[in-house]
Amino acid sequence: MPLIEVKNVSKTYVTGKNIETPALSDVNLWIGPGEFTAIAGPSGSGKSTLLHILGALDFPTAGAVIYNGRDIAALPPDEQSLFRRDVLGFVFQAYNLINTLTALENVEYIMLLKSVEPVERREKAVAMLKRVGLADYIHRFPNEMSGGQQQRVAVARAMAAEPDLVIADEPTANLDSKTALSLITLMDELNQEKKTTFLFATHDPLVMQKARRVIWLRDGKLIEPQTEI
Amino acid sequence: MVTFIKIAWRNIVRNKKRSLITISAVGFGLGALIFIWSFVEGAHVQMTENYTSLVTGHIQIHQKGFLQQAKLETNMAGYPALLAKIRNMPSVVAVAPRIKAVGLISSTEASAGVEVIGVDPTEEKKLSRLAARIKTGQFLGETTDQDIVIGAALAKNLNVVLGDKIVVMSQALDGSIASGAYRVCGLMDTGAEEIDKGVVLITHAAAENLFAMAGRTSELAVRIKNVKDAKPAALQISEQLPSSFEVLPWQTVSPVLQQWIEFDEGFIWIIVFVVMIVVAIGILNTVLMGVLERTREFGILLGLGTQRGQIISMIAWESLFLGLIGCLAGLILGLTLSLYFHHAGIDLTVFTAALNTFYMDALIFPRVNFSQVVFSLFLVLSTSIIVSIYPAWLAARLKPIDAIRSL
Repeated sequence: MPLIEVKNVSKTYVTGKNIETPALSDVNLWIGPGEFTAIAGPSGSGKSTLLHILGALDFPTAGAVIYNGRDIAALPPDEQSLFRRDVLGFVFQAYNLINTLTALENVEYIMLLKSVEPVERREKAVAMLKRVGLADYIHRFPNEMSGGQQQRVAVARAMAAEPDLVIADEPTANLDSKTALSLITLMDELNQEKKTTFLFATHDPLVMQKARRVIWLRDGKLIEPQTEI
Repeated sequence: MVTFIKIAWRNIVRNKKRSLITISAVGFGLGALIFIWSFVEGAHVQMTENYTSLVTGHIQIHQKGFLQQAKLETNMAGYPALLAKIRNMPSVVAVAPRIKAVGLISSTEASAGVEVIGVDPTEEKKLSRLAARIKTGQFLGETTDQDIVIGAALAKNLNVVLGDKIVVMSQALDGSIASGAYRVCGLMDTGAEEIDKGVVLITHAAAENLFAMAGRTSELAVRIKNVKDAKPAALQISEQLPSSFEVLPWQTVSPVLQQWIEFDEGFIWIIVFVVMIVVAIGILNTVLMGVLERTREFGILLGLGTQRGQIISMIAWESLFLGLIGCLAGLILGLTLSLYFHHAGIDLTVFTAALNTFYMDALIFPRVNFSQVVFSLFLVLSTSIIVSIYPAWLAARLKPIDAIRSL
């Protein structure tokens, strides 16, 4: 039983004077619960586009993304928003923390959207920040932290509300190799501890080694067979 | 909600320069509104006070029909009893009798048509400022029934000076020729041409003799505690008098002045409208800039699952905060200016001639009207929130992925 399933998804960007640029072509994919899966491929292969469509941040030109029997790509914007809030956790390449909130408040944010009680929210956020090794940084603002620390806050934010699926788009791309390895190890540990499904895009072989399944993309198409580690 | 308020507040603090521009726009707008309204209020109060204290009094009581046609026949016999009754009413500060008639005044060199007013010098001093406007000489005394006060401009036309004798001629109540010789005891300069060239004052006793009006008077002029209460006070007095009397607030006696004030207030709304447009554009500009600068941040918020309504409320809170701080600044600015000039006055000597036409002095003293301050606050604050709707709508309809990708 897949957690989320991609059925015949294609995506074509139309730019300038009706110039069509295909990003994904007839992609079929399923992701099972508890997976720790990398989407690999060179730049421009369609990794980010696939993750954005899976995360209801972008629409496919054709095809469907099925979660719980519903095509999330066909949902109206407000319901997609609820899907992102209730089901997903995001880790972006550029950290994308809210600059006006502290690390603790950033981690609390999604729980706040989900109306989690303040005390419970704070306890969970503090625990998650401790878990990612930032116990001493909880009251720091993003601009007072290093890139690696910010990305750990982003992982804590993605995990704090206990999502079914964490989508990470090149989470280590802006980090040095040591920090990148440390981050992917943390994600791996969280995956095993919490049984949360992780799906991340990368072109870093070091990061790919940590994945238990690697899905290869080239020119917007899946390359068979998918690697199961 | 608290987190959205917190984000909104921190966004204001984060970009101090932009926030200061918005706060300044709101502050100057509100400050200007409060000051303009205080100035106009002060000018209107002065205009009303001057007019009523020189000409009409706050309320006039006549035998019914006098306002429509002022003639000696329409008089009040046995007025002293009526005078005493009105004087004892709680809202009344002063009440004075006046005999009014038209006549011809002649010196040895010239003559002019005038309104002759017989006044009780003691009571008139409590009621009007005519005595205070004596430029040369003195006001009428109780025992000088042969004295007359005329306007300085009229004296110039008649070529008379203090102490000169002049003759007043008219028709008395009984139809006989009324004629009397008086000595000029004072020259008044009210600044109002119609008074300075067209009104002469003699004592009430002298007027009773001149016009055969013994024990009678044309009018009782009343001064009350607050000129703004003239209408209800007139109604109150009217209820206690026989229906043969007309009790008229100054607005009825002189509708032109009332209409001028209403016109002036209407004109102020145009100024208010222009100020509000400037304020609205100022706020819209800075809030819009703030939203456009933070497109990526709104994309992240939307991407994390923030609802569009929550984005709108966050921006609305931001505008509310900016509006509140701006209003506080505007309140301090507007009230400080208004209160300072309330004591110091605004010197408009250069416009004296024009001001006198409207019974205003060269020094205008702004007056803060609390309800106008509250209304200005409401107007500016609601404008600052209303103009944030468009930027908020823009932010809420962003596509998360496009916004996140933006620089």
